[in-house]
Amino acid sequence: MSSSAAVRLESVTKRFGAVTAVDGLDLEIRDGEFFSMLGPSGSGKTTVLRMIAGFEAPTSGKVFLDEQDVTKQAPFARNVNTVFQDYALFPHLDVVGNVEYGLAVKKVPRKQRRERAEEALASVQLSGFGARRPSQLSGGQRQRVALARALVNRPKVLLLDEPLGALDLKLRREMQLELKQLQREVGITFVFVTHDQEEALTMSDRIAVFNHGRVEQVAAPAQLYEAPASSFVAGFVGTSNLISGETARVVLGREGMFSIRPEKILLAGTDEAQGLRGRATGVIEAVVYLGSVNHYVVRLDEGGTLTVLRQNLHGTSDQKVGAEGDRVTLAWADEHVIDLNPPSASGNHQEEK
Amino acid sequence: MRKKRTLAGTAAFGLALALSLAACGTEDAGDDSSPDSASEGPGGFVPPDIAMADSLGDNEGTLSVLAWPGYAEDGSTDKAVDWVTPFEKQTGCDVSVKYFNTSDEAVTLMKSGQYDVVSASGDATLRLIAAGDVAPVNTDLIPNYADEYDFLKDRPWNSVGGQMYGVPHGYGANLLMYNTDVVKPAPTSWRAVFEDASTYSGKVTAYDSPIYIADAALYLMKTQPDLGIKDPYALDADQLAAAVDLLKAQKEHVGEYWSDYLKEISAFESGDSVVGTTWQVIVNYTKANVEAILPEEGATGWSDTWMISSKTEVPNCAYAWLNHIISPEANAAVAEWFGEAPANPKACDLTSEGFCDGYHAGDESYADQIHYWTTPIEQCLDGRTDVSCTTYQDWTQAWTEIKG
Amino acid sequence: MSGVLHRHPRLRLGLLLGPPMLWLGVAYLGALAALFITALWTADGFTGNIQREWTLDNFKDVFSLEVYRTITIRTLLTAVAVTVIDAALAFPVALYMAKVASPRAQRLLVIAILTPLWASYLVKAYAWRGMFSADGPIAWLADPFGLSTPGYGLVATVVTLAYLWLPYMILPMYAGLERLPNSLLEASADLGAGARVTLRRVVLPVLFPAVVAGSIFTFSLTLGDYIAVKIVGGTNQMLGNVIYDNVLTGNNLPFAAAVSTIPVVIMLVYLAAVRRTGALDNL
Repeated sequence: MSSSAAVRLESVTKRFGAVTAVDGLDLEIRDGEFFSMLGPSGSGKTTVLRMIAGFEAPTSGKVFLDEQDVTKQAPFARNVNTVFQDYALFPHLDVVGNVEYGLAVKKVPRKQRRERAEEALASVQLSGFGARRPSQLSGGQRQRVALARALVNRPKVLLLDEPLGALDLKLRREMQLELKQLQREVGITFVFVTHDQEEALTMSDRIAVFNHGRVEQVAAPAQLYEAPASSFVAGFVGTSNLISGETARVVLGREGMFSIRPEKILLAGTDEAQGLRGRATGVIEAVVYLGSVNHYVVRLDEGGTLTVLRQNLHGTSDQKVGAEGDRVTLAWADEHVIDLNPPSASGNHQEEK
Repeated sequence: MRKKRTLAGTAAFGLALALSLAACGTEDAGDDSSPDSASEGPGGFVPPDIAMADSLGDNEGTLSVLAWPGYAEDGSTDKAVDWVTPFEKQTGCDVSVKYFNTSDEAVTLMKSGQYDVVSASGDATLRLIAAGDVAPVNTDLIPNYADEYDFLKDRPWNSVGGQMYGVPHGYGANLLMYNTDVVKPAPTSWRAVFEDASTYSGKVTAYDSPIYIADAALYLMKTQPDLGIKDPYALDADQLAAAVDLLKAQKEHVGEYWSDYLKEISAFESGDSVVGTTWQVIVNYTKANVEAILPEEGATGWSDTWMISSKTEVPNCAYAWLNHIISPEANAAVAEWFGEAPANPKACDLTSEGFCDGYHAGDESYADQIHYWTTPIEQCLDGRTDVSCTTYQDWTQAWTEIKG
Repeated sequence: MSGVLHRHPRLRLGLLLGPPMLWLGVAYLGALAALFITALWTADGFTGNIQREWTLDNFKDVFSLEVYRTITIRTLLTAVAVTVIDAALAFPVALYMAKVASPRAQRLLVIAILTPLWASYLVKAYAWRGMFSADGPIAWLADPFGLSTPGYGLVATVVTLAYLWLPYMILPMYAGLERLPNSLLEASADLGAGARVTLRRVVLPVLFPAVVAGSIFTFSLTLGDYIAVKIVGGTNQMLGNVIYDNVLTGNNLPFAAAVSTIPVVIMLVYLAAVRRTGALDNL
């Protein structure tokens, strides 16, 4: 493996009583990358983060930071910092007091730590907020304070536990871009936990998809989306049409499980579908209008349903293309059919890049 | 600004209300002390005019008795010690008893008007009469009164201007109790709790009431004649100061003061106290090796009077109680239980062999040797006119200072 | 009727707030005012009846006589000692309950701490009287070391009161620690603070309002207590005893009222001092 691993987990298992939260996990996070851990709640991603921070000790296995075994080290001895889901700002301290906390604990001289705190606040666009109390700040501002408080310590790795979960959608989108930009500027390794696949795809260099305490796939966003290694990944990352069994045999002429992304399926007879051969016929069961796009749920004659996504490029008249109850023919290109069947030689839990 | 004004308004309103309430609360007391009777008491006071019963009717129901501990036993302490139940059976009056620990407490409790009869000592009686809390008693309505010792009747502490305010109950002395296992040789003098208190430092006890100053005054009267104390309840400023000094010196060795008789019992039983002033009834109660003596200096003591509240709603039961409690049977039982001389000579026929002789019942000259609790007032009780004496309020203040 | 109320919001507000304000005015401010006014009167030394003549003599006596200063200082020190001891004892207990114990153990501990509150004050005070007595357990335990029981006195008073009021300190502290998110402790550790530094820089400051809330209980309850002192205090008297003695045995209600303004003033000063720290804002 690469020698520039910022974080490395070696067959780490964590059990809480009878529940196995993390199951024999191997994971490597590279120096300087924006790494996301994506998965549904209870998939073990937050537990992994907490083991990296030191809040939980692995039941077995080892945790390395910068290639040093820190499995037995207390949180305060590790050169990582965390941005908590609830921000965990100290209510009795003002903003500067919060940001300075780590430096004060490490006995950095007052003048120096004040300078660095102001600097950190400036980097999250909160100059001039130093004298406020956390209770006087908005959610987004608190989030930035939490970020500044962690970054001011210049940690080797910054751990972020669903930090955007409590923000509204618009603010969340803004913060996603800001976070990514910030990460590029400071060059610190970010480990980002989220259950929001869009967030993970937007920000990450690489994403690990968690399911039941195991990693299903580790890959760059595009590869994760275009070439999911398992039906779970295909289903969890983006909307996916799963085709299997009899339908697969009739429609695709192949055995096993396959997936086609909704935007890759076209309605025969539209401009986009020109040159493509119709593959299947069915009846539109439902049309879901989503503003910029429409979802068509099509019940296939061969059984099963496929969701088709079509952009609203042509205004309202275009709705004639598909109304509920219309018979339609669906088309797609062969290369967009994703084969979810495990190759006989190697398992699908392996990293692909 | 508006908020401020509202607050101020509320405060002003509350204040005004409080004033009117406070005024209402004290109206009665003010009226009672207004002089409208001609006879003067020994303290220079005029008792308020309160009606006296001139005939009796049917007994009413529930009688509320305020008594010294041991004065109204209903068999709950000791099955054989019961003179309340026979009374209830005879008269149909249900009795509820509240014990008090000091005369001051009795005076305060009587002011509440919740009690119908009270056993008052000499340091409480006049205060009760003067405050109008007790009514004059028509002794003609109490048959047993005729049997009582004459030398107990029409005394300064139970009558004003020839009018009795109650019936004499009994008299006795405050004793010196000691733990026979620890205190050796047996003490004979109050010296044991004064000059010699250091011997049992931390285990000496004393009665927690300003009236205890009289015990020190009595001791000084016998041991330091130079001070010129003639009556332990008539102390001028210098004499009081001498008594206070003695008690302050004593305090260094006092483990704790007692006013609750149960507290003294527990302290002697656990060994926390080994010597100190007591009542015979406490000796009876205490389950430890203790003995009580009348020291050679004599003692302070009490001569108690049963009185009737001026606010009672059950005068017939109250009169019935007074008659019962000085009946030979009840008087004998109380005297033996509490350890005092009965006021009714017929009781001596019913007490155990030699009991009345032991307590010198009926011995007028002996009774005069006990310095009965009396309220100290400005006019010296020993007849001196060249100085003014310290009042009970002075004593109260002094007592607070002694305890520090 | 409702129409009238709807059109006159002030009337509505008046009807809504009137009764509680009246109650507050009468029962609370009224009682305090009555107390203060009573202190300006005197009691007849002989009969104990109140004489309504205005005078400052009671206050003069209270503030000029040394004995009351001694008693005030003794009472104050006792209250401080009780509060400090309770805070020191309550903290680890509350910390264990809120942050360490399992939910089941937590419930049991809360019950265990609340149960003594159901027992009579007197029973508990007399139990301590037994503990400190010459033939009591403390004497028995101390005997092998050549020591003896401290006996009845200030030590016994402080211990007894600290025992009696401990739940009043534990409960607000426990509530305060319950409200302290674990993430704050983790954040502190994450930022490089060890347990001691976290305790000093995070837990105690965040807990301060709860400590203040508890101390108001322990402090004021101690200031006003007179029963425990009587039972285990030996010859010591507190302000409460002076008040009690003046009411019940001295028959001097006005003087008692004057003395009882001392704890009222002390509490007001204490609350003002606490207010300055801002702890009351979070109460």
